[in-house]
Amino acid sequence: MNLRAIWQFIAGDSRRAPVAVVLAIIVALVLVRTNPASAIAGLAFACIVALGLAAAVFERT
Amino acid sequence: MNGWTLAGTSFLASAVEAVEALTIVLAVGVATSWRTALRATVFALLVLAVIVAAFGPLLHFIPINALKLIVGIVLTLFGLSWLRKAIQRYAGRKMLKDEAAAYDREVAALRAVEKAQAEKIGFITAFKGVLLEGLEVALIVVTFGVGSTLALGWSAAGAAAAVVLVALAGVALKSPASRVPENTMKFVVGVMLTSFGTFWTGEGLGVAWFDADLSLLLLALFYFAVSGVLVAVARAPRTVRA
Repeated sequence: MNLRAIWQFIAGDSRRAPVAVVLAIIVALVLVRTNPASAIAGLAFACIVALGLAAAVFERT
Repeated sequence: MNGWTLAGTSFLASAVEAVEALTIVLAVGVATSWRTALRATVFALLVLAVIVAAFGPLLHFIPINALKLIVGIVLTLFGLSWLRKAIQRYAGRKMLKDEAAAYDREVAALRAVEKAQAEKIGFITAFKGVLLEGLEVALIVVTFGVGSTLALGWSAAGAAAAVVLVALAGVALKSPASRVPENTMKFVVGVMLTSFGTFWTGEGLGVAWFDADLSLLLLALFYFAVSGVLVAVARAPRTVRA
């Protein structure tokens, strides 16, 4: 199976949305390590993903 | 804990997992085909049965968080891609599919190839979703039934009842789901997949969610609100072809 086609099917043609997801994972990971009991990591993850969605909606592809 | 309480607890916990699996199966059914979704579900259940039969008591050692992280990332990306397109269509930045007949004809051949790829990936998505949630149900059964064989029986009965009930709900939902306009369905499923993806990725990373599975609902409301705002903001003065 063509890896590029798989990626295209999963992530679509946006470049900004996957970047936002990677950024969200890194930030959440750092926050989880800093304060494991806090829900702030989840909140930060969702907010960065939402910003990525906004960026992707206005992206020219 | 008496038998009925045990079965009831197992029922509720398993129902939550079964609903999560059903959502993914319904999404794949709408996005690709119901046959693909059903085949993946049956295949995942068979694999699950083999795993449970072979490794039953060792289920606690499966790296469930690593699985959640991988599936969560894929679902988040998948959900965002759908949501983005649905928002752009609602906002008039992309044509609605039924308005793009000429464009559809131009890419018909390409779509045939894409459809074959989509069915394969749809199969994998539904398979992973059902297998992951099925493993969680198995873990619930084993955890609640750890005390004795009788407890294991009550726990398994509660879980089985939940799975059967949710499966019946899925059969009932299949037809109405097929009649919903495609962009609306993609918008709703996009919100749901992004919410599940966020939740599972978070769990895989070790995030302490506000109130376990209730946060799923809060995430869905959050993404729904953000998407609604984006539709309003992105609304273009004239329609641009996809």
